[in-house]
Amino acid sequence: MALARLNAFAPETRFDHANRNGDPILDARHVAVTFKVEHGQVEAVKDISFQLYQGETIAIVGESGSGKSVTARTVMGLLTKRARVSADATITFNGQNILKFSPKARRALRGNRISMIFQEPMSSLNPLYTIGSQIVEAIRVHSRISRTEAEARALELLRQVQIPEPEARLKQYPHQLSGGQRQRVMIAMALSNDPDVLIADEPTTALDVTVQAQILNLIRDLQQARGMAVVLITHGLTIVRKFSDYVYVMQHGEMREHNTTPAIFADPRHPYTQKLLASEPQGRARPLPNGASPLLIARGVKVSFMMQHGGFFKPDMRELVAVDSLGLTLCRHETLGIVGESGSGKTTFGQSLLRLNEPAAAEILFDGERVDGRTRKEMQPLRARMQIVFQDPFASLNPRMTIGQIIEEGLIVNGIGKSRAERLDRVQDALEAAGMPGNILSRFPHEFSGGQRQRIAIARAVALDPEFILLDEPTSALDLSVQAQIIELLRKLQDERGLSYLFISHDLKVVRALCHRVIVMQHGRIVEEGPVADVLSNPKTEYTQRLVKAAFEIA
Amino acid sequence: MVAVHGSETEATVVDNRQKAHSNERYAALVWRRFRRSITGMIGLILIIMLVLMAVFADFFAPMNPMETHESFSPPQAISFHDKDGNVTFTPRVYATAETGELDPVTFQPVVGPDLEHPRLLGFFVKGAEYRLFGFISMDRHFFGSTDGQPVHLLGTDKFGRDVLSRAIHGARISLAIALSVVTVVTVVGTSVGLVSGYFGGAADAWIQRFVDIVLAFPQLPLYLALTSLIPVTAPTNVFLTFVVVVMSALGWAQMSREVRGKTLALARIEYVRAAIAVGASDRRIIFQHILPNVMSHVIVAVSLQIPTVILLESFLGFLGFAVKPPLISWGLMLQDTATYSVIGSYPWILSPVAFVLVAVFAFNALGDGLRDAVDPY
Repeated sequence: MALARLNAFAPETRFDHANRNGDPILDARHVAVTFKVEHGQVEAVKDISFQLYQGETIAIVGESGSGKSVTARTVMGLLTKRARVSADATITFNGQNILKFSPKARRALRGNRISMIFQEPMSSLNPLYTIGSQIVEAIRVHSRISRTEAEARALELLRQVQIPEPEARLKQYPHQLSGGQRQRVMIAMALSNDPDVLIADEPTTALDVTVQAQILNLIRDLQQARGMAVVLITHGLTIVRKFSDYVYVMQHGEMREHNTTPAIFADPRHPYTQKLLASEPQGRARPLPNGASPLLIARGVKVSFMMQHGGFFKPDMRELVAVDSLGLTLCRHETLGIVGESGSGKTTFGQSLLRLNEPAAAEILFDGERVDGRTRKEMQPLRARMQIVFQDPFASLNPRMTIGQIIEEGLIVNGIGKSRAERLDRVQDALEAAGMPGNILSRFPHEFSGGQRQRIAIARAVALDPEFILLDEPTSALDLSVQAQIIELLRKLQDERGLSYLFISHDLKVVRALCHRVIVMQHGRIVEEGPVADVLSNPKTEYTQRLVKAAFEIA
Repeated sequence: MVAVHGSETEATVVDNRQKAHSNERYAALVWRRFRRSITGMIGLILIIMLVLMAVFADFFAPMNPMETHESFSPPQAISFHDKDGNVTFTPRVYATAETGELDPVTFQPVVGPDLEHPRLLGFFVKGAEYRLFGFISMDRHFFGSTDGQPVHLLGTDKFGRDVLSRAIHGARISLAIALSVVTVVTVVGTSVGLVSGYFGGAADAWIQRFVDIVLAFPQLPLYLALTSLIPVTAPTNVFLTFVVVVMSALGWAQMSREVRGKTLALARIEYVRAAIAVGASDRRIIFQHILPNVMSHVIVAVSLQIPTVILLESFLGFLGFAVKPPLISWGLMLQDTATYSVIGSYPWILSPVAFVLVAVFAFNALGDGLRDAVDPY
């Protein structure tokens, strides 16, 4: 199966692997990096080697904590003072070991011969300077040309990265640009001195799916036009498959496997690579039993925020409509997906159904009872029946409470369980149902990893024995293999307990694996809805087509 | 915390982490991080010493602070030499006395150490009687002269009272004022800040305008005006209470603003929303979720506010508006330094400044150390 998909989306011009026998432009050998911490040290990277040839794109793949970013920073010479690179490590660039260079010589290399693009385009640009002056500075740091020449070059670069109206952009500030445009500016800055090597560290992770495709295509086009070598650091396997020629797989700071891209996808040797490739969300939602009755019905949900324009003497309150007269019907045992890009209002809509924000107008029925218009006190009897799991497992658990207290809270508040012992029994059951050991009640959230925390958050919802759970991007902050486990868990809980899910996500792959029906949202409105298979295989609107293309072809 | 991502065979990960952290409680974590700050630790040790000194002032002060001797006698240096200049192992001080000689030019009597009558010093000596905590009668002092003669390591003031003993006793009132003001400020400021930040809306807007007014008040004239309202004849404890009330009345606003800012951020965080979703009441959310998370910032704010109050007390005391005799405070002691001629001739009566300096430094250092340590996650 992997092979078939690979051929369908393989890039047209592959790097010729016969060239991998000559001299590499960048040759890293036996690189090991340790960080000093409170008790001893942590080995972030353990004796890894990789080679990069002219005109080639290598991908370094791994989950968070695998040491791939540390590797990139070692090449750039951007490690913190606590880091130590092993003595026998060599990174040869154009025949010279750059690890032996003086700080000054490395600075001359950085941003000049070797450039880097970072993950977060919001914080990589200085908000106080115009785009133009920041690119001009990047050029003039390394080459002695006049300001006018540099400006002309900046304009040319903005054209190359295909920003609309490049002349106007030069005088604009970072906040006036969208995330994708900012990342284009970062690329322009990285390319400003015609580097030989471009390191892209998760260049599209912070961007919307449809924008991701454009940025990656841009990097590839520029690479082919300039004959650069590119190091692509990512956790997205579809990106690797489409954009890289050679893949290095990292886990826990060690190099697990490396091979040409087609070979790795066709024939993964190392168990970790096999696991990684298998961790793409699999399966489909089980068909609904006939005649499932509706559980949650919403009509005409409108949420708006008042924004003040104008000044004190000329107040001008405008209504910003985040969600505009939406409706949905969710049946028992059903999973309904809501997809859309950031800012499309999907979270606002979902939370208004649970009355976690105040809709301006709505008619919401939960199991036949009106939910809208209730006060918080009147909502109380319904709370145990409708629950929520949030996106960020690091913000959704109170750091000062133990796991036991966190899960028990809902039981206390809703008067479930007569004695403390009975409640703790239920807490343990919920934890075990969520795949966590029951003996962690007195531990604190910071002792657990992201995936474990998300399981605890799910246990908190499940402990109340709800009928409906709002899942607000529960997997998007997690690593791929963890994501697959959480999806499996959600599916299992639905089967066992007959839960209904409203699943908010921007990841169509996960939606395909989990949902029965899907709603596509854009700018606070529904643009398309229907059974998952229909919408994904035969998207009707142009927006949905773009989302589908982005999800299944590149992102 | 290095999160173990990736391979999530839960049981093994949990086991490993159990070994690594062995259930560390919040306080333990904070303490572990706090110990790393050298200045913070110095501050903490100094504060412990200051507090012990204030509580057991009678014991640590070599003299009775009310007892009068020769006025403006200069500090006596501790000496290890006897009258012939030989080194001895019993430390001693020599009182200042006329040597019996006259200055050959001015014919003024020459003053010098009275070498004939050394006052030997020792630890845990018998001295002036006092009542520890008001009822245990004792006469032992931490150090002093072995035969009960006066020792003035920092000299005496205009009435001939021992400056060192007064400064040690003064720590009591100065720290007591600081601690009680900060307690009131913390309780009021935190409550107002929590309410304002959590409920938001119109209540928040009105409370914050009121806070603005309090903050905008010209504080110094107000202090002076309010303290001068108290009749001079009022008993000392009434006077002291009033001073604390006045200082607190103007101090809570800053604290409430800091707490409000933090509460605003916390009230919108996901674990608070999760608590609303399980149906928790406002009361529960404030006490279970917001207060514990605000507390660390409050502790830091407290340790940084204490020195401001100490400084304010010494300033108001200097002007004669904080504490009235017979109570002793550092500020009140500095009142004597108000004239140029006194400072010029008897500079040692400035020595309470050193105590203020040490106290302020110690609390600031503690606050800085705590600020870095309170958020260990």
